[in-house]
Amino acid sequence: MEQRTPTLRNVAWLWFGISVAVLVVGFRQAIFLVPTDVAQGNVGRIFYYHVPIAMLSLIFPYINFAASLFYLYWRRRDPLKALTADALALSTAEVTVVYSSICLLTGMLWGRATWGIWWTWDPRLTSMLLLWLLYVSYLMLRRFSSTGQTHTLAAVLSVFAAVDVPIVYMSIRWWRTQHPAPVFGGGPDSGVDPSMLPAFFWNLAGWALWGLCIVLFRFSLERRRQFAEQEAALKAIEASLEIPQ
Amino acid sequence: MTWKSFFDMSTMPHRHLLFTYVAVLVIQGGYFCWVAWNWFHIRDARRY
Repeated sequence: MEQRTPTLRNVAWLWFGISVAVLVVGFRQAIFLVPTDVAQGNVGRIFYYHVPIAMLSLIFPYINFAASLFYLYWRRRDPLKALTADALALSTAEVTVVYSSICLLTGMLWGRATWGIWWTWDPRLTSMLLLWLLYVSYLMLRRFSSTGQTHTLAAVLSVFAAVDVPIVYMSIRWWRTQHPAPVFGGGPDSGVDPSMLPAFFWNLAGWALWGLCIVLFRFSLERRRQFAEQEAALKAIEASLEIPQ
Repeated sequence: MTWKSFFDMSTMPHRHLLFTYVAVLVIQGGYFCWVAWNWFHIRDARRY
């Protein structure tokens, strides 16, 4: 039987501690140390949470996509490996929903204060909402489908959902409408004032570390649930084989 | 910016800045707590 070693647990606690420490530094940078934006005022500080989390909400779907492909490949060849891939796909899908929900919510709070509106059917906002809906659908399929093919259907849906990720990324490059232009990698006019960079990178690092931490925690939980399910199934089979005296 | 101005609720931009930071921490912390709650309520079959 596989045993979790104390070293692994200590690494997990250390990772958690480092994530929280980096997030505290990022918060301090964003709220207290970065100069106030001349054009937007203090509401511009939403940028330091919104942009890093929006960027990360486009990375976790790719881990989900890769894990789903591995699941589809292994599901007949090596079912035990397929279960591991499935647990990773589920954990990254949940974290994608968490990060994309925050991205949409913080964007709406910023939009209401800056544009005067909560929402507009801008290509970036619409494609991000679609991404959120796709991963919510993925989780609902897994939760409520009662067929024996749920994991396979979810993996196929995940492959289709991943198609939306490059569309979200490119939407502010293809269609210049309401959403601000790309901050990084958007051509010669893109970029931010150097005084904003420390707060941005501390928060990007903090939310990336935190995201990986909760993905691994959720993955461990799903593995624990899978083992408990297997144990219950084995016990049921053993009980059914017992001959009544 | 200071703690006092961070908790200033007098204008909409200030309120929305505070709501943003609080909402992010509540959602992330809430999800972490949900996973932790399940972790302690599912027996680890590999230990027995």
